[in-house]
Amino acid sequence: MHRRTFLQIAATAPAALAAKDRKVPKYRVVSHYQPAAQPGMPGPYPGQVASVHAANCIDEATEKPDPAVVREMMARGMRALTGDADVRDAWARFITPADVVAIKVNCSGAPGIMSSPVVVAEIVRNLMAVGVKPGGIWIYERFQDQVDSVHYDRYVPEGVHIWTAESTRGSTESYDPATYVEAAFFDEDDTRSCLIRLVGTRFTKIVNVPNMKDHGASGVTGCLKNIAYGNFSNVARSHSGSETNTYSFIGTLAAVEPLRSRTVLQVMDGLRGVWHGGPFSENRKFRFYPKRMLFGTDSVAVDRLLLDIIDDKRKAEHAVSVWDRSPKYLGTLDGHESNPNVNQFVREPGHIEYAGSLGLGVYDLDKIKVTSIEI
Amino acid sequence: MPLAFLAVLLPTLFWDRPVDTADALRKAGIERLYVPAGQEQAWRKQGFAASPFDRARAVQAVAPTVEYRMDVASATRVPWLDANGWRFDREPARVFFYDAPAGSAALAAAEAFAYGAEAAIRAAPEDLAQFAGMLHFLGEIDQPRLPVMANIGVLDDGSDTMAEVLNLLARHNLLFHVVPAAGLKYDLNIRQVPANADPYEFAMQIRRDLTDEKRLLRIYGSNVVLVRLTGDAAQARLHLLNYGKGTVKGLRVRVLGSYKNGRLSAFEHPGTQLEDYSVENGATEFTIPEMGTYAVVDLRR
Repeated sequence: MHRRTFLQIAATAPAALAAKDRKVPKYRVVSHYQPAAQPGMPGPYPGQVASVHAANCIDEATEKPDPAVVREMMARGMRALTGDADVRDAWARFITPADVVAIKVNCSGAPGIMSSPVVVAEIVRNLMAVGVKPGGIWIYERFQDQVDSVHYDRYVPEGVHIWTAESTRGSTESYDPATYVEAAFFDEDDTRSCLIRLVGTRFTKIVNVPNMKDHGASGVTGCLKNIAYGNFSNVARSHSGSETNTYSFIGTLAAVEPLRSRTVLQVMDGLRGVWHGGPFSENRKFRFYPKRMLFGTDSVAVDRLLLDIIDDKRKAEHAVSVWDRSPKYLGTLDGHESNPNVNQFVREPGHIEYAGSLGLGVYDLDKIKVTSIEI
Repeated sequence: MPLAFLAVLLPTLFWDRPVDTADALRKAGIERLYVPAGQEQAWRKQGFAASPFDRARAVQAVAPTVEYRMDVASATRVPWLDANGWRFDREPARVFFYDAPAGSAALAAAEAFAYGAEAAIRAAPEDLAQFAGMLHFLGEIDQPRLPVMANIGVLDDGSDTMAEVLNLLARHNLLFHVVPAAGLKYDLNIRQVPANADPYEFAMQIRRDLTDEKRLLRIYGSNVVLVRLTGDAAQARLHLLNYGKGTVKGLRVRVLGSYKNGRLSAFEHPGTQLEDYSVENGATEFTIPEMGTYAVVDLRR
């Protein structure tokens, strides 16, 4: 394949949106991968989300999910998203037996909150039901210490790969030096963020499994943040002082090929949630239990719903809105971790709308069709 | 000139322990050493090429290492490095002395070698084997010195502020060379630093003025590796010094200019080769899959 260098993002970004609201750094996107005929994001169901709520899906006291209820939630959600009567047919729309399927979990809040092993196990079961062999399934994340604390291996069949990009924090050998986003944010020396190599060389499909979480920098962390910051090296450089570049960096990363094309399904695990202190969850008092799962191919639409879920919960807890940019709420990390009215950064929930304007999905609530299911 | 007997300008062990430690030196493979004045004959009788060394005449080098100073630099992003390259460039005619605590002697030797500095290194006994191994490695890769390649020419005013600017330029791999007069050879020339200047902001402004696109060299994937670049019209040599505590994996390097091939020599990682080598858009890039304390890359056009 002939190598091409794409320098398009800053130029094709939503100029009006960027100009009126935020400073967007100059991004240089380098990738030799071509987009699929129909990229996975926004995929075949733009602006559509299946939302499944089950009051008994998790025991709040023990925080243990009920596998049978989770199975029902996933079956109903996938059928609602696709319109198929048989859940196997629903999965077969996205996955073939020949695929190498990667499940992008989120373990940054583990063990307090993470892509539930019960949810991940049910995804694996469905993948195998359409013919994918255990060896063709990869559960992956960036940091090994986080994943090790979850023990996915106890929930999935032998042969399923559980893999992390960084066995030691900061190691870069698992990233592709030829696929990266270059930008200088805060005079950092290393201005590149490289894509996990396996995304291009091994994985043919990616199922994204974020949680429902508040995020001190980006406002919330859902599909977009998990697929963007969770697949590239050297992303923490986007934060400095009270400022972050999450507004434009998240969408820019998520749009890089082949990540955009191969991420074919969004399964948001909202059995548990974090309404403050995210993406971590060291303080249980900030966890809550939405008992909801969202299904879609449109990461922007799913995240748009997440915004309201988190902000509504914060309002109910009398915490400052994720939209509030006032400097008066800025404080120290210690203060942020214990007080929901202290922000460590100026939050950037606008990153979702920005990603939408990059073509990743539908942001306007009036244009998002939500199919709600109660179990 | 106390170093005149050396056929090759390599860093030399300074050893002020009793002569009855000679077996430890032999076991490590040390053959040449500096000793305090008056002890050289005793060491020569033991079969060593020993010369007296006057510490008072040498410039004290800092022990090379990484420090995580939470109040000065972010532990996760910009650790503090104690490095001497800028000092060598500032005073190329001087002899330097390292009092190297355990774990730092090999890096000290590599650092001095990379900058062509004359140096005596007082190593801890437990470092002797690695130090000797480094000297052996340096001897194998030694070659005639190539001119320094840099983006920035610096007229050194000798001030403390300038010292800190040089330290920061080196820290951020902004390649400079101290010169007697400004010249067209460099993309930028620094003639003076305002007395009240913030050295960090000054160094960063130099970076912005230069632009990253024009930089002769960039590295990606580590914030504890410093690089020295030398070369001429036909070739270039990169010296990569790892000030961190562990192995650096997957270090990406970009050198401005088109070089058809490159060869990696990595201390304690024999046989390791450059990966993902590419020459594109007037620049050469490659990955060093694994490096410990020190590595050298030789590039040819």
